[in-house]
Amino acid sequence: MPSLKNELWLASRDRLVQATVLVAFVLSAVAVIVGLNTSHQQRMLIERVDAAVAEDRAYVLAQQSDPGGAAYYAYHFTYDPPSPLAFAAQGTRGSLPWKHRVRMLALEGQIYEADTGNPELAMGGRLDFAFVVAVLVPIFLIVLLYDGQAGERRGRRFELLVATDQQGGLFALRAILRAGLLFAAVGAPFLLGAVISGAGLGGTLTVLGALGLNVVFWAVCCAFVALRLSSGPTVAATLIGLWLTLALAVPTAGKLLVEGTIPVPVGGELLLTQREAVNDAWDLPKEATMKPFVEHHPEWAPYADISLGFEWKWYYAFQQVGDQTVEDQSKALREGIAARDRMMGTVALLSPTLLSERLISQAAETDVAAYQAYERCVRDFHRELRMFHYPMLFETKPFSQEAMAELPSFTPCTQ
Amino acid sequence: MTEHVLKAQNLTVERGGQKVLSDVSFAIDEGEVFALLGGNGAGKSTTLLTFLGFLAPSSGEAFVQGQKASENTRHVRQQSAYLPESANLYPHLNARENLRYFLSLAGVKRSEAEVEAALDDVSLRNDARGARLETYSKGMRQKVAIALAILREAPILFLDEPTSGLDPVAIDEFNTLITKMSEGGTTVLMVTHDVYGACQVAGRIGLLRRGQFVGAFEAPEGGQISPDEVHAAFAREHQQ
Amino acid sequence: MNAAFLVAADEWRFWLRSKLGLAAIILALLVTVTSLVANASRISAAAESRAQLQAVAEETFKNQPARHPHRMVHYGHYVFRAPAPLAVVDPGVDPYTGTVMFLEGHHQNSATFAPFFSAAQAGVFARLTPAMTYQVLIPLVLIIVGFASLAREREGGTDRQLLTSGLAPCDLWLGKVLALAGLGGLLLLPLAFVSIQALSMGEGAGAVSAFLLGYAVYLLIWALLIAAVSAGSRQASGALLTLMSLWLLFCVVAPPFAASVATASAPMASKIETDLAVAKALRTAGDGHNANDPAFNRLRSNLFEQYGVDRVEDLPVNFRGVVAEAAEADLTDTMNSFADETMQAEMAQSSIQQALSFISPQLAVRHFSMSLAGTDLRQHHRFLHEAENARFDFVQGLNRVHAEELSYDADINRNASAEAGQRARVSAENWRVLNAFSFEPAPAGQRLASATPYLFVLAVWTALCAFVGISRAKDRAEAADA
Repeated sequence: MPSLKNELWLASRDRLVQATVLVAFVLSAVAVIVGLNTSHQQRMLIERVDAAVAEDRAYVLAQQSDPGGAAYYAYHFTYDPPSPLAFAAQGTRGSLPWKHRVRMLALEGQIYEADTGNPELAMGGRLDFAFVVAVLVPIFLIVLLYDGQAGERRGRRFELLVATDQQGGLFALRAILRAGLLFAAVGAPFLLGAVISGAGLGGTLTVLGALGLNVVFWAVCCAFVALRLSSGPTVAATLIGLWLTLALAVPTAGKLLVEGTIPVPVGGELLLTQREAVNDAWDLPKEATMKPFVEHHPEWAPYADISLGFEWKWYYAFQQVGDQTVEDQSKALREGIAARDRMMGTVALLSPTLLSERLISQAAETDVAAYQAYERCVRDFHRELRMFHYPMLFETKPFSQEAMAELPSFTPCTQ
Repeated sequence: MTEHVLKAQNLTVERGGQKVLSDVSFAIDEGEVFALLGGNGAGKSTTLLTFLGFLAPSSGEAFVQGQKASENTRHVRQQSAYLPESANLYPHLNARENLRYFLSLAGVKRSEAEVEAALDDVSLRNDARGARLETYSKGMRQKVAIALAILREAPILFLDEPTSGLDPVAIDEFNTLITKMSEGGTTVLMVTHDVYGACQVAGRIGLLRRGQFVGAFEAPEGGQISPDEVHAAFAREHQQ
Repeated sequence: MNAAFLVAADEWRFWLRSKLGLAAIILALLVTVTSLVANASRISAAAESRAQLQAVAEETFKNQPARHPHRMVHYGHYVFRAPAPLAVVDPGVDPYTGTVMFLEGHHQNSATFAPFFSAAQAGVFARLTPAMTYQVLIPLVLIIVGFASLAREREGGTDRQLLTSGLAPCDLWLGKVLALAGLGGLLLLPLAFVSIQALSMGEGAGAVSAFLLGYAVYLLIWALLIAAVSAGSRQASGALLTLMSLWLLFCVVAPPFAASVATASAPMASKIETDLAVAKALRTAGDGHNANDPAFNRLRSNLFEQYGVDRVEDLPVNFRGVVAEAAEADLTDTMNSFADETMQAEMAQSSIQQALSFISPQLAVRHFSMSLAGTDLRQHHRFLHEAENARFDFVQGLNRVHAEELSYDADINRNASAEAGQRARVSAENWRVLNAFSFEPAPAGQRLASATPYLFVLAVWTALCAFVGISRAKDRAEAADA
């Protein structure tokens, strides 16, 4: 191998290397800073909203004299706090909900509420670390490596360099060195960010691994193409074509394929059905509601007689029955989303861009699985709420302000 | 009998399906300066690149110190210094930096004094040595490349149009330098289309035409090959 | 001028003879057609499904049996957002905004079920919409085909020969620009074809031609930029590098960068916080379900005065309905003021992003395209406004039915017995208060007006690139003469 020190010195004098590595470093640093700031803002927001919802709950509960009203007006804040590594990948947190304010009413009517902010910003994507790794790193590598040999040929140095290089492997060393410099320039800000946010070693290594994987893959591609084609621009155009294919065409085709193969129920239909079920209950005989309800909750069968025109327990029973009527659809929707994600995972094996993006958002817990885990968490909490309120609604337990103090409070689930 | 340092034996090379060298044979001994003369596309550079192991012969062989060049490229490149045609070293480095880089790549260590001495030998202006090569004229760049070839102190020197871009004074100096090196035992294979320059330094001259060896001239003891004779042969071959 | 056309024709011949150029052109045509076809079928499927669901929702509402009118207020209604005709080219924010909104009394819900929700997650680049193809990919194709246009002549020394044989330096430059612009024009044909289809879906001719003009100007900017960079580069590979960097900056880095800057510099309250703020603001307002709430005392005394009675039972209208109507109006005022604040905050974010159009012509054309297609944030807000109007109209319509068609006596006794409950209902005829909802983009004139500033930004870019190109072409000529 030629002297590493010598090559490092030469690379440090190369304006192209200087500029590319500097730009990569700056973009990575900006992405990490923006990401850390976003996570910080989200934590602050959670703290703020949690307190505000609690204050509102305390205010309305103090005015309630019956368990039905208490259950109706008491909102609970549920949320999925950003993981320590969430700064590295916005993932689904940009467009799928990670916070909901829920109450005892039918959950299906509440859980699809999306509070994701400005759609014009969502469509621009986010300059996060995953974007830098998946999309920009290949381009930087192409810039650094495409002209490795062709440039020397054009400068009429190629033969001289090869004839002078006593140990051989000059161009391999140069490629490895430049790829290594890029890895360091992009990885360093992330590593610092991971230390600041106290991320675990496993996740941090996964993210660095994804970066490394991408760097190695593209370095090999560049070397492969550069060896076969002698003109710099042709090498660059070919590599850009490859990048477009892997970063753009494969994900697009994969998305079409996945969505075509795995249908999911139309959300709008689910909502219509659920709303129908809840509203029809008002006009149906009370038994029509109470019967399916006690099938799910036999323990309340002895208390399921409704004698008045309006009783809270009947009201909440039809809320639950509304959820029950769309249970299959809702399950199919969730399973469809999960199945699409699994299949997308297979497609990702064909695209290093997609793969590294997925690996990073997996480590950052901002992927589809994390969103679904949060959704499960909200469903569990809502069940807990029902379990808490039913005894008072079915009058097996007296209602009192003291009893309401025992109201379950939401704690985020850890994966 | 000692082995020839460089030897082409029925050397045939094809590039892109076309024969650029066919059945060329010659041999060069230690300390000898051999010049291959020829017009455009005669196969001069091809011969050099074959000796350096960049091109593999389709038949025949180029031997360097008795070893096949196509198989022992490492050996060849260790034993030789190469001066490419209109060599461009790194334009963003100065002369000293370029020399330091290439010498380190060659795995040889030369002191600062030795580097300055080599630059003196090629008479590169002292004040230009710290300036980037992109500010140099073609001749100045060539001088740096020559300095590099000298500093390698290799037993064999391959020169491709070494004097192109040099002014007449520099050409004379270069020729003196080559003569001095060959006297010190360096074997030189140079290719050129400069008849007069070749006659000044070469002990023997080979004439190439469309990849074929068409004539040889040898300097008389203590004298030089007559340029007029070579020129006449060159012109005759060219007319055919 | 004639000379420029000769140069352009020669450039075309070069592309067709070089494998790279021909491959790039064929690939580009393939990608544009694919993205147009795929997107058009997706959008028309979405339009059909939403229109159908809208019809079902209206049908179901009107077919409800006789009920207490306030029950229908809570029964609610759905509105679906139909995509704009030009969404076949630029779906804009459509995949990121909810498509369904549940309308009910006392609440303003957000739109749910954005197409993104259940989509396979494949990264930002997996949306090969025609807009994205033309804004991001076609410039790349132009770069690959044209980076060497002038640099190649200089590298080979052919430009000196051309210039010494009497070609004006500007003609050489203009010829290369014409060649690239011609390629851009060729690639625009599929877009023109699909945009003209939008005419049959009710889009105005003015909007469609402005839309095409915007894209044509955008591609012209790239043609000028490529010629300018190529003219200033000593080597073709240097030109490629510079152009690739510019492309990366304008098309890949600028959009997420602008989004990040906008989010960071104009943070917004979350919907939950806004909802809480509304709730807090309404704590002092009366509960419309409770006619005895002291907040309605004034309303009651005003009515007593108006009708000359002193008992609610004697009023010719159902006081509970009047209260519901008044309370809904107050509530809506409060909710609207908060909703307006949220929309203003979103617009503030977007305007930061829009201001960054000056750092990237792609951002300028993106906003231009979305505003003109009617798929930008403004149009989404328009949908929210129209949905809110629809909500308010049907709720107040029902409240008036409550006040005028249902007696106070039957109303307060509705829970006394099953028969009393039957008496406290109004006939299904009354559900006709619901107006048919169909969301259409703003009139073409309005959209043109909001798109014009971006056209201006694009014009600035055009002028800048042309100026740089001409001066570089002249500098080159001087350098070549020297």
